[in-house]
Amino acid sequence: MIYSQKWYDKPISKLILITISLTWMFPYIGFLLSSFREPDAIKQAAWWTSIFSGQIFSEFTFDNYTEILFAEDLSRSFFNSFAVVIPSTIIPITIAAFAAYAFAFIDFKGKDLAFLFVIGMMIVPLQMSLIPLVSIMNKGAILFGLPIIPELKITGTFVSVWFAHTGFGLPLATFLLRDFMMGLPRSVIESAKIDGASHLTTFYRLALPLSIAGVAAFATFQFLWVYNDFLVANVFLGINPRNQVITSHVAQLTVGNYGEAWHLRTAGAVVSMVVPLIVFFSLQRFFIRGLIGGAVKG
Amino acid sequence: MSVKSDSNKLLSFGVRIIAFAIFPLIWFLSQAILFREITNRIPRALLIFLAIAIGSTFIFILYAGMNKIISYAPKSYQEGLYGAMFVGPAMFLLGLFLFYPAIRTVYLSFRDKWGDNSVGLDNYVWAFSDKVMQVTIRNQFIWLIGVVTLVIMIGLIIAFVSDKLQKGEAVFKSIIFLPMAISGVGSSAIFKFIYAYRPPPLTQIGFLNGLRVTGGTDINGKPCKNNIIENGSKIDYVNDGCTQPIGWLQQRDLTKFTSFENVTPDDSFLSWLVNFPLNTVLLMIIMVWMYTGFAMIVFSAAIKAVPSEITEAGRIDGASEARIFLSVIMPYVKSTIVVVATYLTVTVLKAYDIVFVTTRGDFETNLLAVKMMDEFSKFLHFGRASTVSILIFISVVPIIVLNVFRNKEDEAL
Repeated sequence: MIYSQKWYDKPISKLILITISLTWMFPYIGFLLSSFREPDAIKQAAWWTSIFSGQIFSEFTFDNYTEILFAEDLSRSFFNSFAVVIPSTIIPITIAAFAAYAFAFIDFKGKDLAFLFVIGMMIVPLQMSLIPLVSIMNKGAILFGLPIIPELKITGTFVSVWFAHTGFGLPLATFLLRDFMMGLPRSVIESAKIDGASHLTTFYRLALPLSIAGVAAFATFQFLWVYNDFLVANVFLGINPRNQVITSHVAQLTVGNYGEAWHLRTAGAVVSMVVPLIVFFSLQRFFIRGLIGGAVKG
Repeated sequence: MSVKSDSNKLLSFGVRIIAFAIFPLIWFLSQAILFREITNRIPRALLIFLAIAIGSTFIFILYAGMNKIISYAPKSYQEGLYGAMFVGPAMFLLGLFLFYPAIRTVYLSFRDKWGDNSVGLDNYVWAFSDKVMQVTIRNQFIWLIGVVTLVIMIGLIIAFVSDKLQKGEAVFKSIIFLPMAISGVGSSAIFKFIYAYRPPPLTQIGFLNGLRVTGGTDINGKPCKNNIIENGSKIDYVNDGCTQPIGWLQQRDLTKFTSFENVTPDDSFLSWLVNFPLNTVLLMIIMVWMYTGFAMIVFSAAIKAVPSEITEAGRIDGASEARIFLSVIMPYVKSTIVVVATYLTVTVLKAYDIVFVTTRGDFETNLLAVKMMDEFSKFLHFGRASTVSILIFISVVPIIVLNVFRNKEDEAL
């Protein structure tokens, strides 16, 4: 509690905050309104003119949304996004949870070195690995004359994006979950070991359920990151309409081809924002936690 | 005895290799081939379901299988082998998807277009001598300095001010934090609408041009207005003398503005200012809008940690709010500022979608990450693309490493 505030402190703070919040909200307003206006209306009068003249009510329509979702097939891209996001969240978390358990509770040779490797990979920006990764997914990899990966030709299918996101998300997931598991009471894990539980059982029955909050934080973060990602999706899936994700679709609408089709651009972008906003509002706490932990994601 | 222990060692080594590499490799390949085959044959909903069901089963088999093999190994080695089993798949994936490609990128940056022949340092010479690359690097600098400073300043102000409110703080914070949840593509679409331009007789639907054409008077003294089209006929059609709308994202300098129309080289300040890259700054605003919320949340937590006794003492001694902010709060949040600055620097260096969606890198707005993808997918020059990505890496790493060392120092103190 602050006692020595002057009487004008609060009104001034409020004024500053309201000004900034309104500025921050302003870009949404016109955009959201335009997504509900008839295509011709958008072109014939600016949205603020239509508010002042009261025409906004007579122009109101949902047609833009039906058109973008079904005629333009944004609904397919929407489902594609989920086909990408769900495995891209589950795979790295599972693999990372196992690794995090080992880093936290198993003593093995080369542990420090392995962990240093994880940290090192966290620093490497995604762009560094992108080009060769595409050729691995496509033409395979040959190491010292040994073809360790055959010609897979999986670019353009979802599985390539799953594994790309797995690679990019793993270092952070391992790091965060290890941090979390280090915080668990060691005595609980030790006593399980004394009772004769194997590592797999201890992991599955104790460590994983106890660190569910850490898993949730990373899952929320990774979910939004993958859903909002454009670069990786664009590189591995391209703009082939069958498999493209929603961000690629909205980007394609916005970049060009559609000239003046602002009714489609606005409606499409609004549809793409619905899921992140729901996740954000329902899981805000986890999201912020994952975000702050993930400040240096590759 | 020694023979037995040797063979045990060999066995445990073999098991370790299997756990580390062969099991994850088989897992990866089987997943890849299986899902490649079924992706285009089944509906999406079924694919999602199968991905979860089969994916989980495969991961279970992966670890359970390794567990089974390890149970055959001698007891004394098992602890270490379990380490290999738990860490193995992660290490394998990191090695295959991040480490090996990163090394390969370094190698490719010294090769030609398709990576067939060595070209020495040619790509690096190109990176610093090419006109487009020079503009790209300049833009990247402007972005780094502009975005990082603006986001930190606005974030600090909001965090400091909102700390004074006891009620309603969360609402304001949510509003400002919201852009952080939506995609860069979505944000860029929103701002592209604000910057929209249409040739003059048409209605200006972008807010910025709407503001620009409204106000002032034409040559006959009639007020200038935005055009409206009603029932097919133009209303408020404006005459000569009014301000013309401009394509904001095409403005690489300020020559379109009245004050800069007749700049002479004598006026050194104006002729310097006329090169102000307006479109780049307008694009930076998108990023500032997106990331201020992040800075605010982090700073807010840091400011809350400042003991209120200290700020109270300052206030009782009659210090002004500005004074308290600079002399009491700042020293406390200094290390937080470094962390946020690092995060923002890395984010700006990797920024891709904003520029791609708005200008596609034209009109001198390119950034390194966009240029890299241009070289890769448009010009198909893998050598140059790799070189640009190495530039990104070289800019990112020192900042993070410095930060890590700083943290170590802080911990030591």
